[in-house]
Amino acid sequence: MLKKDLILKSPVSKTIGFDNIRNGKFGAVLSRAGVGKTSFLVQIALTQLLNDEKIIHISLDDHMEKINLRYSDGYKNLVNDIGYVDPQKAVRLWEDIKSNEVGISYNENTFDIEKIRDYLKSFKKSDLVLPSILIIDGLNFDKDITDVFEGLEGLYQEFSIFTWLSMKSHRDEELSENGFPVQLETYKERFDKAIFLQPVKNKIEAIILKDGDRTDQKYKLDPSTMMILDE
Amino acid sequence: MIRNLEKVRNIGISAHIDSGKTTLTERILFYTDRIHQINEVRGKNGTGAIMDSMELEKERGITIASAATYCKWDRHNINIIDTPGHVDFTVEVERSLRVLDGVVLILCSVSGVQSQSITVDQQMKRYKVPCIAFVNKCDRSGANPLRVSRQLKDKLGHNSVMMQLPIGLEDKHEGVIDLVAMKALYFEGDNGENMVEKEIPADLLDDAQMAREEMIDEVSLFSEELTDTILEEKEIGEDLIMQAVRTGTIAREMTPVFLGSAYKNKAVQPLLNAVISYLPSPLDIENEAIDLDNNEETVILESKFDKPTVALAFKLEDGQYGQLTYIRAYQGCINKGDTLINSRDGRKIKAGRLIRMHSAQMEEVEAIPAGHIGAMFGIDCASGDTFVSPKINYSMLAMHIMEPVISLSIVPKDNKAQINMSKALNRFTKEDPTFKTYVDHETGDTIIQGMGELHLEVYVERMKREYGAEVETGQPRVAYRETITKKAIFNYTHKKQTGGAGQFGRIAGFMEPCNEEFEFDNKITGGRIPTNYIPSCKKGFEMCMDKGPKLEFPVTGIKVTIDDGAFHAVDSSEMAFKAAARGAFLEGYAKARPVIKEPIMKVVIETPNEFQGACMGLINQRRGIIQGSQEEGVMSVIESQVPLSDMFGFSTVLRSGTQGKAQFTMEFSSYKKVPVSVAEEIVRKKQEEKTKK
Repeated sequence: MLKKDLILKSPVSKTIGFDNIRNGKFGAVLSRAGVGKTSFLVQIALTQLLNDEKIIHISLDDHMEKINLRYSDGYKNLVNDIGYVDPQKAVRLWEDIKSNEVGISYNENTFDIEKIRDYLKSFKKSDLVLPSILIIDGLNFDKDITDVFEGLEGLYQEFSIFTWLSMKSHRDEELSENGFPVQLETYKERFDKAIFLQPVKNKIEAIILKDGDRTDQKYKLDPSTMMILDE
Repeated sequence: MIRNLEKVRNIGISAHIDSGKTTLTERILFYTDRIHQINEVRGKNGTGAIMDSMELEKERGITIASAATYCKWDRHNINIIDTPGHVDFTVEVERSLRVLDGVVLILCSVSGVQSQSITVDQQMKRYKVPCIAFVNKCDRSGANPLRVSRQLKDKLGHNSVMMQLPIGLEDKHEGVIDLVAMKALYFEGDNGENMVEKEIPADLLDDAQMAREEMIDEVSLFSEELTDTILEEKEIGEDLIMQAVRTGTIAREMTPVFLGSAYKNKAVQPLLNAVISYLPSPLDIENEAIDLDNNEETVILESKFDKPTVALAFKLEDGQYGQLTYIRAYQGCINKGDTLINSRDGRKIKAGRLIRMHSAQMEEVEAIPAGHIGAMFGIDCASGDTFVSPKINYSMLAMHIMEPVISLSIVPKDNKAQINMSKALNRFTKEDPTFKTYVDHETGDTIIQGMGELHLEVYVERMKREYGAEVETGQPRVAYRETITKKAIFNYTHKKQTGGAGQFGRIAGFMEPCNEEFEFDNKITGGRIPTNYIPSCKKGFEMCMDKGPKLEFPVTGIKVTIDDGAFHAVDSSEMAFKAAARGAFLEGYAKARPVIKEPIMKVVIETPNEFQGACMGLINQRRGIIQGSQEEGVMSVIESQVPLSDMFGFSTVLRSGTQGKAQFTMEFSSYKKVPVSVAEEIVRKKQEEKTKK
């Protein structure tokens, strides 16, 4: 029951929709540095973990231990948002689901889609359930990364794995004509979903930039926990 | 032996596998004139390094037993223990640390802080051993000693302070800059034996000055005098800095970092100077014992020669002339011919031949005074025993020993092997407390137990080589355990009347899971079971823990509470209550949803980046859980938890999957419940075995 409650409470279920997380191939969470891209990505991953799915979280910035710490913090925020939960129950559930999260830390030079392919292949080889989503945090969109997208497209074809990426925008840059941060503009055709996180008066506004017809919907988030604010 | 203990150092050299411990020790012995030729670990002439005196060690290029040796440097006596780096031999490392006053922690300048370094560090913390770090292999491509120093901070939480800077790295590594004396040190001669002091090269001077300032800044925390000198902007003397570093190091509040390349004979002499200058003498360390005659109160041992003797046997070896017992004297002095008491069993022993070791060669000595490490001949004892003068009854605190997790059945090939095997087993179990052996009563097989495949493999090999006992080994087996997962009540009456005196006893209560091995709580009131039968009840339950009713694996983690019962004035007996306890256990156990638990190992793989995906795949195929993966330069580190039963033969698989470039370490992590599908398989195998019998 706790699992279902947590999924319902997740900011991801409210903004993107729990059933909608994996519709398509690619999703992006955009914001300036320090607003909460990673925390939001972690919440996306947590909904999958709570649904007994496996996920892979690749970070090009954080150390492996820090990634794992972000997950336990994200889980705590989610649990606290529910109100009272039997602490032992919450710990047991976390012990149960955390083993489905694999954090991998690369740097820009060693990040290689082939390594991920090798890893995913081993799931098939050993007849294991494949991870449902791949999270890539910290990829530099200011460079040409067409080949990375092609590699990820290949992973989607082979393993039906949905990829969520973080995309850093810059404070001083103007938005494109249709209101997108310019980084998204270059690759916008590739993305099925895009969420823009923007600080507005001590709060964070999550704006759906792209997701079928659900564009321009806005939600208010608590900047310290990334939980939905009831207004 | 030197009686001035300020001039004595008992040090260990510990590190991860292949970081160059033995190579470094070899260099130290060469520079201190203990040996006259340097032999490499995997030498071309097949000699092997002098510290690796066991044939097997030379062949495999690993150090199995920690050989103790001593040398002299700058009018100081240094006793060195060369410790093994494989996790399977951790107990050796633990035992060495127990008797050491300081450690040189070797780190590889390419791989940095590796998994074993973390284990060794935890052990150092446990025994509060101060350490200095030596970043070795600065001549290797990818060497980055500054990164390693940072890792010491980040990963191990040491307050690492660079005491030197490299002059060139990788193939251009020429020497080091001493930041205390502000001199460049070069090493000339065929074996780098001539240390030459020169001015610091102009292009490195700025860096060196900056690094010195940083170093002094860190070090000034440990000396008010130094802080004052800095504030008064006076010239800072070398002695002042060295004294501050020494204070910080001995208090375990800083770790001075040195660097060089033992293999290329670079900067080993400055490390020896650092051992003398910064690591503690026996006088700087407080050692404790417990007084067995005085309610086990802790007593502080004093390194005084006229006090009653206290010494610890930390290692046994089977030498040519019988058992060789390595000892460290903590208090008093062991003289030839002294009578000592083994405080474990109260047996008297006579100190016969006393020697000190230089690896496999020995030198006879007249006495082993406090603060020194030496060895005695012809004494029958076990590792970890304390020897004391007859007037006191102290015991050094017990060492932290782990339970074995893997077992192997061995069958001698012939009659001769049978006799030799039992001699060998007798010896090994005395030498190594993590190595155990017993005879399985059902199969009649001899079973050996240890900490990992390699651990047992080495003993089987030693049996063959040292004792001529050839044995056939069975499949390695995992030490499964049984436990319960919920509370269950029992109420059992044992009643027998078959002529003669009958048997009667009733026990009621409940059992529940707990974290201890076994707990027993007596809540009987009103004499429903007379007090004199309670120990029998406890004993009866305890006896059931050895062999679980489910699959005959040992049972752990059960708390039994008895709160009711009944007895008969004539028919009740201790025997009857033991039998009643057994019945009650079986009744409760069946209802308490029993499960099988298996040992889960923490497996850390270090692999070149290109094989990261493949290695993670290998873990996946073995029911493993990957906790994460991290890139460290050209290498990737993968941390995972894998059931031991799926780790058999992993080294071969890993080798073939990575062209032999990856390595892994494995250590016991915890016991976890076996998944249902695997449990079914275990049950099936167990049944097959039973039908075979």
